[in-house]
Amino acid sequence: MNRKLAMVIDSAKCIDCKACVAACKQANGVARGQRRNWIKEAVPPLENGPDGNRKLGRGHFQPGACMHCDEPSCVAACPTGATFKNAADGTVVIDPRLCIGCGNCIPSCPYGARFRDTQRRIADKCDYCPERRAAGLSPACVDTCPTKARVFGDINDPDSEAAKLLAANQGRVVRVIAKQNDTKPNMYYIASTAPDGWAVQPVNPLSFDALTQVVAPLVKYAVGLSGLGVLAMLARQLVTSGTAGKDGGSHGAGQAPVPPETGSGTGKEDGHDAR
Amino acid sequence: MTSHISRRDFLRLAGAAAGAAAATAANAALAPQARAAAPAQAPQWESKFGVCDMCFNRCGLIARVEKGVIRKLDPNPKFTKSRGMLCARGNAGVDQVYDPERLKTPLLRTGKRGEGRWKEVGWDEALEICAGRMKDIAAKYTRCGMLFSAGADTQSQFVNRFAEAFGSYNVTSHESLCLLSGNRAFVDTFGEVPLPDVKNSKYVILAGANRLEALVTPDSMDLVSIMKDGAKVVVLDPRYTKSAALASEWHAIHPGTDLAFMLALAHVIIAEKLYDAKFVAERTSGLDKLSAHVADKTPQWAEGETGIPAADIARIARELAAAAPAAMVYPGRRSSDYENSTQIRRGFAIVNALLGNWDRPGGLVPPRPAGVKKVPFEPPFYDDNPPGRVDAKGVPLLFDDEGSFVLTRDAVIKGAPYPVKGWFVYKTNPMATAPERRKTREMIEALDFLVVADIAMSDTAWMADLVLPMPSALERQDPVQALQAGAEGACLVWRDPVIAPLHQSRPVFEVLKALSGKLGFPEAFDFDIATYREKQLAAFPEAAEILKRDGVFYPPNPPLGTTDGQPFKTPSQKIELYSNRYADMGLDPLPVYQTPKPSPDAGRRFRLVAGRSACVTQASSTNNALLSEFEPENTLWLNEDSAKELGVRQGDLVQVESPAGRGELKALVTPKIRKDTVYMLSGFGTISGQLKRSRVGASIVELMESRHDAICGNSAIHETFVSVKKKGAA
Repeated sequence: MNRKLAMVIDSAKCIDCKACVAACKQANGVARGQRRNWIKEAVPPLENGPDGNRKLGRGHFQPGACMHCDEPSCVAACPTGATFKNAADGTVVIDPRLCIGCGNCIPSCPYGARFRDTQRRIADKCDYCPERRAAGLSPACVDTCPTKARVFGDINDPDSEAAKLLAANQGRVVRVIAKQNDTKPNMYYIASTAPDGWAVQPVNPLSFDALTQVVAPLVKYAVGLSGLGVLAMLARQLVTSGTAGKDGGSHGAGQAPVPPETGSGTGKEDGHDAR
Repeated sequence: MTSHISRRDFLRLAGAAAGAAAATAANAALAPQARAAAPAQAPQWESKFGVCDMCFNRCGLIARVEKGVIRKLDPNPKFTKSRGMLCARGNAGVDQVYDPERLKTPLLRTGKRGEGRWKEVGWDEALEICAGRMKDIAAKYTRCGMLFSAGADTQSQFVNRFAEAFGSYNVTSHESLCLLSGNRAFVDTFGEVPLPDVKNSKYVILAGANRLEALVTPDSMDLVSIMKDGAKVVVLDPRYTKSAALASEWHAIHPGTDLAFMLALAHVIIAEKLYDAKFVAERTSGLDKLSAHVADKTPQWAEGETGIPAADIARIARELAAAAPAAMVYPGRRSSDYENSTQIRRGFAIVNALLGNWDRPGGLVPPRPAGVKKVPFEPPFYDDNPPGRVDAKGVPLLFDDEGSFVLTRDAVIKGAPYPVKGWFVYKTNPMATAPERRKTREMIEALDFLVVADIAMSDTAWMADLVLPMPSALERQDPVQALQAGAEGACLVWRDPVIAPLHQSRPVFEVLKALSGKLGFPEAFDFDIATYREKQLAAFPEAAEILKRDGVFYPPNPPLGTTDGQPFKTPSQKIELYSNRYADMGLDPLPVYQTPKPSPDAGRRFRLVAGRSACVTQASSTNNALLSEFEPENTLWLNEDSAKELGVRQGDLVQVESPAGRGELKALVTPKIRKDTVYMLSGFGTISGQLKRSRVGASIVELMESRHDAICGNSAIHETFVSVKKKGAA
């Protein structure tokens, strides 16, 4: 059986410390103001305290990132085949050599996992740190997590920690999915998680929706490479050149910091309270 | 977040087997689009052990170094004290090393103080100037005319050694702005400062300790683990912190009333005979006096003080006692809160004593033996020195080796009891951490010479005459340091450079060694770090090899309970519920509760409290390029109802004022704080011209009044009331 890399998260253990976000940014040189992963905060319930005053109830934080879906809407939205499902391990991959930066995949992801990298001007998202994995290490966010809320592994390998955790919690594991469009995410939350209303209906570009219905994927791949992609890239560059803001600098070692990035790649708030 | 769509639309139950089956089907359906990605290449990096320096925890790490450049810092999985983690600050350590604003060369002030005009000088000249000025001050004002202050750093011990050899008693650390009240209370009750064995505890009361944000390893991680396993964690905090959010229960206690809560716990535990009678009889003294003292401190009484319902207080007392000895009132770390903080923390200590949790799993344990040998020397004696520390007379129970920064500052300003005219500062930053910054400025103006050795141009360095660039902790060799992790015992770490020192930075050890030669006491530094470490590790011949192999060494750890039957290190050799020593000194021998005084000025209706987040370690971290993304500026937490009354909306700039000063910052309007309390992070509001990222949002030191603990002189930063108004409002 092929490998199937996935993340199993016990969000009840998350303390919202941002270590995973910081580690990801450092490991992947993610530009200032952008992030490949996140922690969302559930709005705490208001309870009536015994003195009649309102009182905040138990809080909950939810780590997340690209869910490497089995039916990824981003793959369908990509005109060039740069975004594809890696047959070897089930990850959704962006080939930077094929990505033309058209940005169609960004709203097509119902989970806000994608953004346009302000440095390379192409789509970016979590890739489960393939270089680290090649070195025998966990993804940076998993390795660094103080409470080990994030567990990563091949869930088709019954001996992996992730598979064991799934097996031990059979019947209790939930996924956050987009309304009316289950992209079959591979982010598994133990028992329960919140917030749950952040996934939205993905927006696929109209032309490509039509295209995907009549054109076989391999043909689409060829078309993307041959001309459509170039046109799309040109259009995208024209549209975004005025609003993209300055390129963010890398946080990688030895590089100079730059002023704060003004335009977020996703154009969306990720909904968590910075506190 | 006002969606009315049912929860099950978004959360789908995903049984593992079902998930896998669906995935296989989906994979098949997607087969035409799926293809194999080219395998990734492992980075060509070397992995080197290090020890984090972004806060005081000292987590073991592995630096991934490629061609002499640090690419990434990862946790060292063998370093169990941190539970194999590296927090956001630890990850941001790379940005500290490569910060382009870092100090690069020694700098000599050429303009007025704080004007930011400097001349680059070479090390020879810098050391010559430093030695000359220190010699002049010693000649003119005695050797105690030099003050030495070193932060929480592995090389700070060399600053203290230098001060002793130089001949000054005037040494302060950051601790008198942080944790000394708690230490005072536990030393005076148990004879030493215990460690909480959170990992094995079933019931933990966190009073004011925001342990899930102000991370302390391993306590923070263990709190999460034990709650998963069913332990109960009760948080008392005027603020809905992340600790409050995730705790089993949270009570928005009226600030300054924790002692009332503790006395009521003691009342219930004694009245209902829930204490460990054998332990209390054999190992404590003063139960009869304590019983009388708390006889009227009923939960009903405490409800009136704390705002926590009496039924909850009584229930918590019973639950706590039922879980004992695997139960605790968490001692906490920072206790620089109130003028009676030592007595408040005595209350914490006394409840623990009643639980009989001493040296028991899940209770408070004595520090474990570390076995690191001291490297002694014979300090010279200077007979022209004054009789004691400059702050000696301020409070009855000063820690002699820590002093009180707030009282020392007063003495320097007054020039009494004797003049202090020189100040050597190493990696501590009172301009950004001591209350009432204008007084710190006044103190510095009263000096003849201020030298600051640091990695970055701190606000204190900005005021200096001479600034010395230090390497980061990833660029230097350090002595052995012992770290304590609850009942699991001590662990030993050291540092070797993972990259060569950048710029012209030079470790403080080398600076002090050079100065000791110029000042005529080279014998005090007659060693290098390697030989120093050999002496430190004399008891463990195998340790050096293991440190090289694993990055950490665990000395033998005796099981808990080995102190049973041993005397406590107190005058009575017992746990002193009632302190005869305090009685003899005219101090309250049992902690006497006083209702917090209301604000003396109706216009200043909010009590200001301060803290930190998991991305902030006071002022040393707020300028960090990565961390400033998470905490870009300081904000004032303001209750939403209070904000409405003031006409303040989310994000409005507000002016905050106290008798100590004023500041401006954005309001964070929230239900997460009491209506009578406002909160700010430490850090930010920097004045240094080389800390430009952290300027926005006032610093607490602009607002906090200079108050101190009446017993030990620790600063008392929660005694300040402030007014808040929208900027531009009348």
